[in-house]
Amino acid sequence: MIKFKRQLQFQSFLLPILIVYTLFTIYPLLQSLFLSFTNFGGYSNVYDFVGFRNYERLFVDDAIRASISYTLLFTFGKALLVTVFAIPLAMILDQNFLTRNLHRAIFFFPSIPSGLLIAYIWGFILAPIGSGVLNKILNQLFNIGAQPWLSDPLLAKLSTIFVATWAITGWHAVLYLAFLQSIPKDYYEAASIDGANRFQQFRYVTLPLLAPAMTVSVMLLLTGGLKVFEIPFALTKGGPGFETLTVTQVIVQKGITEAQYGLASAMSVVFFLIVLVIAIFQVTMMQRREQDL
Amino acid sequence: MMMTSQKRNWILDLVMLPIGLAVFFPFYLIIINTFKTLQDATRNPIGLPKEWILTNYVQVFEETALLRSFGNSLTITFFSVTLVVIIGAMGAYPVVFNANRVTKFAMLYLLAGFMIPFQATLIPLFQLMTGLNLIDKLYGLIALYLNGSVFVFFLMMGYMRTIPRELSEAAVIDGCTVWGIFWRIIFPLLKPISTTAVIFQTMWIWNDFLAPMLFLNSSSNSTLVLQIYRAKGEFTVHWPMFMTLTVVTLVPIFLFFIFMQKHIVKGIAAGAVKG
Repeated sequence: MIKFKRQLQFQSFLLPILIVYTLFTIYPLLQSLFLSFTNFGGYSNVYDFVGFRNYERLFVDDAIRASISYTLLFTFGKALLVTVFAIPLAMILDQNFLTRNLHRAIFFFPSIPSGLLIAYIWGFILAPIGSGVLNKILNQLFNIGAQPWLSDPLLAKLSTIFVATWAITGWHAVLYLAFLQSIPKDYYEAASIDGANRFQQFRYVTLPLLAPAMTVSVMLLLTGGLKVFEIPFALTKGGPGFETLTVTQVIVQKGITEAQYGLASAMSVVFFLIVLVIAIFQVTMMQRREQDL
Repeated sequence: MMMTSQKRNWILDLVMLPIGLAVFFPFYLIIINTFKTLQDATRNPIGLPKEWILTNYVQVFEETALLRSFGNSLTITFFSVTLVVIIGAMGAYPVVFNANRVTKFAMLYLLAGFMIPFQATLIPLFQLMTGLNLIDKLYGLIALYLNGSVFVFFLMMGYMRTIPRELSEAAVIDGCTVWGIFWRIIFPLLKPISTTAVIFQTMWIWNDFLAPMLFLNSSSNSTLVLQIYRAKGEFTVHWPMFMTLTVVTLVPIFLFFIFMQKHIVKGIAAGAVKG
């Protein structure tokens, strides 16, 4: 009896988390799945099952198609750029130089404020009119005319990806730095005694030992990237047209502003599946690669 | 280069300084413009002010409910983070110290939802919050943020496994209740990982924009980030004012960073190694 009571006391510790998680995560997800097969309008409780019609609509709606392709471009573009910059940056910040700590702080700073603020700050710099700060600098230095950084389809895509990369590269460099610092210096000495040059040391010592960090960093970049919302929203509002529209913005717009619950729910379900597939694929691929290196 | 001899590498200073300055430039730009009049800022956005003024700062406090938004952000962040850490730690406790079929099932259940993005549950959440009358309530948003306890649960679980079991077993013999063991022995031992959890959750909740935008409508319930969003419309013309507002809202989170710097770097490393 006492044992049973103890067991009950123990299990009761799980109650808060199970309640919160079921109420705010599992129930809404199942509800999304359910709503995606209905034409529920949000206001009345009358609805019909419409089978896969909402899913079919996803593939013909221009805004939705544009948002999926932009979100994927943003995610992979940012993940690639951040990784390419963060690894060398981490290696530099691992060296012994006078302003090292200053530089560690400077590169980390942009990851601290909210993405919304970051985007607004860059909005002043990238303003397409002649008064935009970047256009002013380019004009004074190279006598180049005003560029539409945020209103040209291609430039808007590149600008949003660039701002997001600027914001998070330092954070990921710190992550890589933590792994670099755990590599024993003897490894490099041994490698150089064996006649390895610097590139070979990087290729055969540093890179394999950084592989686990890369798995984590890329996973965070991909799952975070797919959920992107603030930076494009605050820089371009999704424009020009649907060129920088994100999946999240579409869900908010269709589901909450326009009350197209069925369609937006179908979008949510597809979005969840995309996140799941990419995350599983990435982690299995990169863990296999960790062993190959 | 790799073999860090103790000699300082001056070339790196020379190479990195211009890059560092370029990376820092956006921050320089907003700070410098808060000390300019509108005409000065429009004519000369990049250089130093012709005349340093503080009127933007005075005006921003007069014209916006800045202190109120700060209070709202603080309230939401404080209560959410505290509860999330406690709920996450409580959940991990039986899973680690009293493993059985029930706890194993609970863990798998929580693991299954780890990848569910907030956005995929947004529409039913909106209905649920409306139904529970939690829209435009600070405690409604706090309730929503309790979702973060799943992330904390996994952090805690990993850390708790390193605590020797003998500690809690000895306490049982001394007649301590399950409740007592958790609060008096286990929870205090979790301090390092709790710090990591507090940092990650604070940065995330303090900076969040999507949830406050959707679930807090009235301006008296604005968070700081939401205040910036609303001010963007108001101050489109007077952008030195907008930059001043931005700088003022950046101060608390940068102070947090400076005080927690060591823990933040350690936290990123710990989180990454665990992951």
